[in-house]
Amino acid sequence: MLSCGGDGSGGGSTGLSSGSSGSSGSSVPSGSNVVSVVVNGGPTSTSPDVNTMFTTVTICAPGSTTNCQTIDNIQVDTGSYGLRILAPVLTISLPLQMASDGGTLAECTAFADGYSWGPVASANVQVSGESASSVPVQVIGSANFPNVPADCQSVGPAEDTVASFGANGIIGIGVFAQDCGAGCTTVVDNQVYYSCASGSVQCEPTTVPSLASQVTNPISLFPTDNNGVIIQLPSVAADGAATLSGSMIFGVDTETNNASGSQTILTVDSTFGEFTTIFNGQMLPMSFLDTGSNGLYWGDSSITACTESGFTNFYCPTSTLNLSATLQGQNGTSVNESFSVGDAETLNGNFTVAPTLAGTFGGPNAATTFDWGLPFYFGRTVYTVIQGGTTKVGTGPYVAF
Amino acid sequence: MPTSKSIANVKKCLLTGAVLAAALSPCIADAGLGQAETSVQTDAVRLKGSIKATQYTGYQVQEIQMPSGTLVREFVATNGTVFAVAWNGPTVPNLRQTLGQYFDNFVAAAQAKHAGHHHLQIQQSDLVLQAGGHMRAFSGRAYLPQAVPAGVSIADLR
Repeated sequence: MLSCGGDGSGGGSTGLSSGSSGSSGSSVPSGSNVVSVVVNGGPTSTSPDVNTMFTTVTICAPGSTTNCQTIDNIQVDTGSYGLRILAPVLTISLPLQMASDGGTLAECTAFADGYSWGPVASANVQVSGESASSVPVQVIGSANFPNVPADCQSVGPAEDTVASFGANGIIGIGVFAQDCGAGCTTVVDNQVYYSCASGSVQCEPTTVPSLASQVTNPISLFPTDNNGVIIQLPSVAADGAATLSGSMIFGVDTETNNASGSQTILTVDSTFGEFTTIFNGQMLPMSFLDTGSNGLYWGDSSITACTESGFTNFYCPTSTLNLSATLQGQNGTSVNESFSVGDAETLNGNFTVAPTLAGTFGGPNAATTFDWGLPFYFGRTVYTVIQGGTTKVGTGPYVAF
Repeated sequence: MPTSKSIANVKKCLLTGAVLAAALSPCIADAGLGQAETSVQTDAVRLKGSIKATQYTGYQVQEIQMPSGTLVREFVATNGTVFAVAWNGPTVPNLRQTLGQYFDNFVAAAQAKHAGHHHLQIQQSDLVLQAGGHMRAFSGRAYLPQAVPAGVSIADLR
């Protein structure tokens, strides 16, 4: 076990062995493969997030047990892949990773609302009792890499501070092991990876021929418990809560505390990690589970939209709507899901945990997508199995609940 | 994607030397949304893709496939104006290029308080923009409500 001198806040050792989570009635899991997660306002008190889940990770320079840092307020995101840390919170020095042409490997991470630019470093990543060695991680907003490529800057505004990013970092633990995958092994203009020559003004697009060199979902590099993750959150009263605590359990069918049960398994496609939702008779084949989305997002023009500035993509029904949909995996297995839609303007002003927050998924995929965000995870146990990972009941990529 | 509509005319657009020269100049203010059809060719050079044009009733779609696999579709009215841009694929395209003068509106909305990193919407009288998705699967659309030709459904702008 590494001793890394952090403050331990939010770490895996706190209170996991006692009591039960009130609402769901199931016992709180314990073990070295368990870490606590919390849904709260995050690190930016001036602009707290709604339905955003955080955990704590410890990173160390490869090979060192003392050059380590424990970082809290790391957003937990099943809609991305890999660990990213904001440079302003990083106090230890990590070795940078080389591109295949000898320059320093850097990355442009795109989000719907901006970009995060920075070099790829190598770190040992420790979460609770799990530890992965030499994990490629992104350092966002490094002062040593000020020259953001034009194509990256043109994705939107920079999200390279804790305030603009809304977290000290993000841990992407979705169904894939790498953030880009095969595309970046052969395509130079992949819009993700760049090589920065020493002293060079410009960073140039580059391939990353080795998948292992791409920013990687740390779970896939744990020695054991590396085939996926289980997220367990208690249920929430319909009108919301100030905070919600739950657990993240690493591995599936690898320990006594992470066994597959009778959950419904929905396999997802190997390109996007998506399945089909059927809502009101309409097939939405680009649907996904995503703890990084703070609501349920899909198109339903019959639900009243909010009018307040900044909320126009949310739903504001005059009374809570109780709806249902069918989720169907690539394997043909389907399951019915009941969910509620509340008034987003009321919810957002009062709570950081808002189980009925929902809005439109706009744009070209509006007629093909149902984004099951964090509210889907409240009150249940959700399995995410990484592509190629095998369990007693299947092979990833799949989700189960 | 336009799958069910009849395709009246398909043509290939070739890049001219003049367009290439324009694309290499630092000024891209005349690119993309709200500009003339010729700006699509400038965008294609910037996005390192070729254009596939498809004619529909009342408008033409000029689709650019980027090396990353992302598809960018620019909607051109019969008067030659780009009135909408849509994209989807593993990466977000160069929006400064494709949104042109409206990129600043996008940046302002993205910097204002909004809902997380996976969704963004702008609903203004002269600009509607919706962007969303997750890593490896992004999509978005921007259009100019007052420039959408009569009879064209917003749902078809995808």
